Amino acid sequence: MSDEEHHFESKADAGASKTYPQQAGTIRKNGYIVIKARPCKVVEVSTSKTGKHGHAKCHFVGIDIFTAKKLEDIVPSSHNCDVPHVTRTDYQLIDISEDGFVSLLTENGNTKDDLRLPTDDSLLTQQTNKRISLDVAILMQIKEGFAEGKDLVVSVMSAMGEEQICALKDIGPR
Amino acid sequence: MNGGADAGAGDREALEAVRAVVLKPSETLDEERFPRIAGYDFNSGADNLLGLLASMASTGFQASNLGDAVTVVNQMLDWRLSHEKPGGDCDEEELDPAYRESVKCKIFLGFTSNLVSSGIRDIIRFLVQHRMVDVLVTTAGGIEEDLIKCLAPTYKGDFSLPGALLRSKGLNRIGNLLVPNDNYCKFENWIMPLLDQMLLEQSTENVIWTPSKVISRLGKEINDESSYLYWSYKNGIPVFCPALTDGSLGDMLYCHSVHNPGLLIDIVQDIRAMNGEAVHASPRKTGIMVLGGGLPKHHICNANMLRNGADYAVYINTAQEFDGSDSGAQPDEAVSWGKIKGSAKAIKVHCDATIAFPLLVAATFARKLQQKTNAASR
Repeated sequence: MSDEEHHFESKADAGASKTYPQQAGTIRKNGYIVIKARPCKVVEVSTSKTGKHGHAKCHFVGIDIFTAKKLEDIVPSSHNCDVPHVTRTDYQLIDISEDGFVSLLTENGNTKDDLRLPTDDSLLTQQTNKRISLDVAILMQIKEGFAEGKDLVVSVMSAMGEEQICALKDIGPR
Repeated sequence: MNGGADAGAGDREALEAVRAVVLKPSETLDEERFPRIAGYDFNSGADNLLGLLASMASTGFQASNLGDAVTVVNQMLDWRLSHEKPGGDCDEEELDPAYRESVKCKIFLGFTSNLVSSGIRDIIRFLVQHRMVDVLVTTAGGIEEDLIKCLAPTYKGDFSLPGALLRSKGLNRIGNLLVPNDNYCKFENWIMPLLDQMLLEQSTENVIWTPSKVISRLGKEINDESSYLYWSYKNGIPVFCPALTDGSLGDMLYCHSVHNPGLLIDIVQDIRAMNGEAVHASPRKTGIMVLGGGLPKHHICNANMLRNGADYAVYINTAQEFDGSDSGAQPDEAVSWGKIKGSAKAIKVHCDATIAFPLLVAATFARKLQQKTNAASR
């Protein structure tokens, strides 16, 4: 299996699982959890003890780390949930193509070209206003900074086979 | 002496006057309307149930009310359309004597969920098993407690068991009964796959679920002859429960909808069906038998309002009317609403149904079934 066949080079081994099981009762706020097959950050956990409703349960409220949508789940405390492996990798921004793809410099000197900048349309359809303004800010900064010729480093968040630019670091003017 | 004689006459007059006031002559009572009081004579035997029940009517207080309730229920069970003169607008078929002999009173049975937690559940099962009632109305607990009893038992405890101690041991108290948490866990394990299946049928087969359809399905799935819901399903007797969410069933629906959303339960379709049972009952007469108060009592009486009132009504509950509650309201209040006919035979037995209902059934439904079985076996 040659490296060129990999669609993306991530630090994680390509054969490793994207999620790992963890008992629902041990998952805490600010941790991660998979709800309805989406990787989410846990913003609220509450528990109901065993009673008329049956087994003791954990109520999770999570925010999809890519779309910022709010998702909820109720899981018996003793059951296992899937927890996503979430990684953040920094790449230097080399180029932005006309159709919105970015060219990033990887650690070993290759380029990573499969990521897009979030488009204005996709940002407008996202649900949380807070997140839209964050992404719009990043988008603006990336476009302006690149136009000005600044050295930009972007953080890419990766989970469950999905990747997205989540932050921008400015390493100073050239 | 003359003075003494006059004084004596005065005394006698005074005495007559007092006697006339204190011992005012009484009207003689017509014993047809005012039967003599007489209690059961145990010299007739201690295991003569029917004799004991028959003596209730003449014992007084609530025993007499129970005796009257037995009379009303037996009238309910004995009535046939053939006892009525045919109306002017009758069809040919309605004039047929055989048909008229076959038309019986439609009986609505309502009960609160605590009674299903108690042993009354088994008496309800008997009535449903033998198709002796036509429509059932209860609350959510009345559904789940019957199903749960097929998975794990309810136990006898005590009213005075301390709440905090019970909570720490995972025991839920219903009066002087105890239901372990584990029973509800078993119920959850049993019902969740069924809710998934119902949701699937809703989306793939366009099934529109209503509380009564859900209940019928649960009765089918429990498949246990000790369950009254199983017999209701088997005998096609509808069970209405508009507040299906107000119990463990509601907790299950809540958890299920978060995990696997989309199940819809239509209460409008069920009110059509319930009220339809009353509205389209004619030419049958209708009878109300309700144990306890609350939703089941009102739901049945309200449905009967749409046919200008039920013909028979028996209430067995411990609620009082002084607070204006519907639970405590006596049959005559329902007459003012048109829920019970002014000409109806109605009675309220102020008694805990766990005592009164088995006695009532013994003297009515069970007795008639026994007579029928004895006659058939000859």
